[in-house]
Amino acid sequence: MTKTLYQVPIVDPIEFFLMVRLTHNLLTLAFIAAALSCGNEQPITPVASGLGPRQGGQVVVAISSDLSTFNEYQWAPEAAEFEVLDLLFPSLMIEQPDFALRPPSFGERLATSWEFSPDNRQLTFHLRSGARWSDGVPVTAEDVAFTFSVQKDPQLGAIGLEFKEFITGVEVLDPLTVRFTFSHVYPYQLMDANDGHIIPAHVWGAVPRAEWRTTDFSQLLVTCGPYRLAAHTRGQTIILARDPAWWGHPRPYLDHLVFRVIPDVASQVNQLLSGHVDVVRVVPPRDADRVRANAELELIEFPSRDWGYLGWNNARPPFDDRRVRRAMSLAINRKAAVDSVFMGHARVAQGPILSSMWAFNRNLPILGHDPEAARTLLAEAGWGDSNGDGVLDRGGKKLEFDILYPATNAIRRDLAQLISADLARVGVRARPLPVEAATFLARQERGEFTAMLAAWTEATRIELSSVWASRSAGQGSYNFISYSNPEVDRLIAGARLEADHARAKLLLDRIQELIVLDQPVTFLYERNELVGLSRRIRGANINAAGLFFNVQDWYWEP
Amino acid sequence: MGRWLLRRLAAAALIVWLVATATFFAAALAPGDITLRLADTRVSPSIREQWRRTFDLDQPLLTRYLRWMAGAARGDLSTSWTTYRPVATMIAEALPNTVLLAGAGLLLELLGGVAIALHQARRPFGTGDRILTFATLLAFAMPTFWVALLLVEVFAFRLPLFPPSHMRSPAGEMAVGWQRMADLAYHSVLPVLAIGITGVGAIARYLRGSLLDERAQGYVLAARGRGCSPRRALRVHALPNALLPLITILGLSLPFLVSGSLVIEVVFSWPGMGQLVYSAALARDLPTLLGGTVVVAVAVVAGNLLADLAYALADPRIRLGDAA
Amino acid sequence: MSWRSLPAHLRHGLAVLGVLTTVCVVGPWVAGDPTTIVEPAQASLLPPGSTRWVVEHRDGSRTAAQEVQRQEGGWLLTGRGEPRLIAAGEVVALRRTTFWLGTDTLGRDVLARLLWGGRVSLAVGLTALAVAMLLGTSVGLLAGWRGGLVDGVLMRLADALLAFPSLFLLLLVAAIFRPSLTALVLMLGGLSWMGVARLVRGQVLSLKEREFILAARGIGASPLRIALVHLLPNTLTPLSQDAALRLGDLILAEASLSFLGFGVALPLPSWGGMVAEAGEVLGTAWWLILLPGLAVATVVIGAALLADGLAELARLDPA
Repeated sequence: MTKTLYQVPIVDPIEFFLMVRLTHNLLTLAFIAAALSCGNEQPITPVASGLGPRQGGQVVVAISSDLSTFNEYQWAPEAAEFEVLDLLFPSLMIEQPDFALRPPSFGERLATSWEFSPDNRQLTFHLRSGARWSDGVPVTAEDVAFTFSVQKDPQLGAIGLEFKEFITGVEVLDPLTVRFTFSHVYPYQLMDANDGHIIPAHVWGAVPRAEWRTTDFSQLLVTCGPYRLAAHTRGQTIILARDPAWWGHPRPYLDHLVFRVIPDVASQVNQLLSGHVDVVRVVPPRDADRVRANAELELIEFPSRDWGYLGWNNARPPFDDRRVRRAMSLAINRKAAVDSVFMGHARVAQGPILSSMWAFNRNLPILGHDPEAARTLLAEAGWGDSNGDGVLDRGGKKLEFDILYPATNAIRRDLAQLISADLARVGVRARPLPVEAATFLARQERGEFTAMLAAWTEATRIELSSVWASRSAGQGSYNFISYSNPEVDRLIAGARLEADHARAKLLLDRIQELIVLDQPVTFLYERNELVGLSRRIRGANINAAGLFFNVQDWYWEP
Repeated sequence: MGRWLLRRLAAAALIVWLVATATFFAAALAPGDITLRLADTRVSPSIREQWRRTFDLDQPLLTRYLRWMAGAARGDLSTSWTTYRPVATMIAEALPNTVLLAGAGLLLELLGGVAIALHQARRPFGTGDRILTFATLLAFAMPTFWVALLLVEVFAFRLPLFPPSHMRSPAGEMAVGWQRMADLAYHSVLPVLAIGITGVGAIARYLRGSLLDERAQGYVLAARGRGCSPRRALRVHALPNALLPLITILGLSLPFLVSGSLVIEVVFSWPGMGQLVYSAALARDLPTLLGGTVVVAVAVVAGNLLADLAYALADPRIRLGDAA
Repeated sequence: MSWRSLPAHLRHGLAVLGVLTTVCVVGPWVAGDPTTIVEPAQASLLPPGSTRWVVEHRDGSRTAAQEVQRQEGGWLLTGRGEPRLIAAGEVVALRRTTFWLGTDTLGRDVLARLLWGGRVSLAVGLTALAVAMLLGTSVGLLAGWRGGLVDGVLMRLADALLAFPSLFLLLLVAAIFRPSLTALVLMLGGLSWMGVARLVRGQVLSLKEREFILAARGIGASPLRIALVHLLPNTLTPLSQDAALRLGDLILAEASLSFLGFGVALPLPSWGGMVAEAGEVLGTAWWLILLPGLAVATVVIGAALLADGLAELARLDPA
């Protein structure tokens, strides 16, 4: 998959609805090395005897919601939708699952080769000849330039606009050569150039930009990928059929990929167990053992890029006081809560950078479970139980608040109850309060909360400014918790401009220390990805780079 | 009668308008709007503003309301904010699915309920009657959502007899003709059962009682006296009279035929009106929500109107002329 | 009238509801706290009849183990995963506990949750039912009796409310008011009187031209008297059946309101909430699916029997 995973807030009804790309930690180094050594095209030698890959068959994949648009630049589709779009539209390169170790490297896709100019400010791609859209029109550099104009169009404000910030121009040198120019040199140039799928200029270019947002692109569908759309019953089923015109011919081996919309995750797993579907990309932790125990099924587990937190409103009392926030983190038995809810399929999150990423600071001061220390800190901040009712108070006000969470999110409902019980033991009354999803989003964005359970899906790049930099008027921000530390702001700005990622790491280490010290949020969990699939599917290399990373090599056991 | 009908129709139009208006303002005033979903939160506020302009959300509430009303009055339900397809088209896709499911459910309720009640009334107070009385009581008492879960668990997973969800199998999506129909019928079994089982219980319980009452009435006894078989007396003479009050129930079921059962639609991944309106509400997709609500409101009003009419026709003691 | 001489249905209905109510009122004192979380890593989703050692810690938290051994310096707990040693000073109490109806995902006792949930759900369901019945009956009587404009306006209002997507009404209210049990009951009752009103009105319409009503009018009985003494008893039969089914619906509807933050405040249990959560454990924990649904069904069965009995009573002893 090629969408650079922009950071997205997870609010959907059920935690698992928003599944995105995956990540590896150091434990799986050997696996990554193996994957890299053979590039993105895993060589599988077809054997005539029938033991090798076999053409034909269909794989049924469960998805939580239907595709909302075929044009990712129309609005922000949910991350899971990109996995389907990735089968229908080409990208210049394919991101490799090594982003956990360094800024990621890339494999060839529509572009067969690329090179930087001596000053590294220009990047030239050579496109594959023979790539054609589903209507027979060749895919050319014009399509790449058109896509860039769409991505940069301020009128559209497409998702990922900020990734194109440092790209100043895209030039068509000839039909199969295209050159990107950058404003300066930085570690993520390849990633930024690659971000987003290439779309058909000859068809979508005809739609005036002013009408772009209100166009039904399913009527204008022209694709170029291993699969093309064969049938789409809304809210039910998407059937993709092998595209014989794809450049990877004779692959893919599978004739059809069928996506079944099953909103309920428990039903997805049950249908996997009963054989109605072959792949479930997000197995709930509670069902992991059932999938693992089934001889027909395989469970693949690796760290995801999702992490969850209990966000404090840093602009409001009592959480404008760092001591109170730290006391909360100390009072909550995070290890027990995370183990309980994720059944061991998650780790306790420690700081703003995922522990599986190269930039994670391994020497962070760890806040353990220490209710005594929490009581002391709260007493320092002036909170005591003056009336002996078991709830702390200060100046006649009790230390009580609601913990907001999206109502249908079962994981967060359970977390809220565990946290509430822990906090009650130090005299803090935290009431779990389920809120309807859209209301939750609105209140989160407007800062209308004291405490909330929320989560992020992290990008494959290290980008701390959106969540942790102080809010400034007129600028968009993900800093819902109104965190503000001038030193952190200064360091984040510095790290962003650093061309060398080893030097950037020093700055990032310091930022992490400062944020952990401030505890603007209580870091809760880093979830593992649990993918369940039929053992009879062979050749699948499901990894941090996506469910369909090598879909063209999948085949049914003969 | 004609005047009454005219007045009722006018009142019906008024209700539909009222409901649409109330829904418009309630939805517009509820926290959150569509742009929260469509525009990434991190993009600059100016882009969020562009999105709001796209949907006229920057306009005063009253202007938006009048614009929508003007469109709706011309029969234009506008375009969905989540799919950019005409709302009318989306309703046209979802409505048949709902009508199919709820209609089949209603049919099951009626046929099942009548059959069971007739069977019971033939030999009341026997063992068979007792067992059926308990069974119908249980059917009547079980929560629909719970029944749906149990049906899926038992008949789709434990004993894999029926598909657990969806209207069609992937093969059925590609099939044509009778194979497509058969696939649909096969997929309907569990949801129809889930939707109808409470009603079967309710109707059977109700009918059994009134059949026993009617059986003791003079006209049925007279028919028996003329040499009519007990079975025939029950079916031909007692049943029609016992069925009369069900007209009201059927009239009240019409809205349900259109609005759909959200719970059943969600459990069985059935893309009907319930899911359409509900997901539009959650996404704050106003045009779809309003369009769906108007269709449901029309059904409610029409159902009640039909029920009142039928009631009046069946029971001459009610005079429509001055009662309404 | 003696107990024996009452119709059988009435006796059965009263018995079912009586036992259920008693159990739910008294039970919670016996069953313990339904919100006590016992270390989910050890005690989540235990099937009915499971027995564990429950260790109460000094800070009030509870851990669980299959076996407990006294060792130097503390207690050795063995269960799922590695054995753990807990310092003796840390332990306040150590109890061998049997979870007769199993545990839920957070290791809470399902028996206690069912009993407490029953208390909450019955209280909410019955009061909401009372609100709906009171509203519905008054509107129905008034509309049916007065007829004309009053009837038209009231019944059209009912139609409008039936068609209005109540989700938004609830969202607005949830945005303005803090969720509370009173608000919950008022919302539930206020959104479900329409069916009752239609039913009562229909009965009144068909009754009001009958001889005994005309006679009562003839002798100058006040409308209120006619309504209470003559009309209401005659609507009892269909109304009580309707009430039985409505009670079950209301108990479940409480759960859908909790989706909007309006339900019974967590971590307190309710039957509706438990039924709603059953979908999450489909295929994993049958007791969490079966029990709350059965509980709701039993209430409705009791209420339906009671309704049958009342109808029989009305027939035997016409008012």
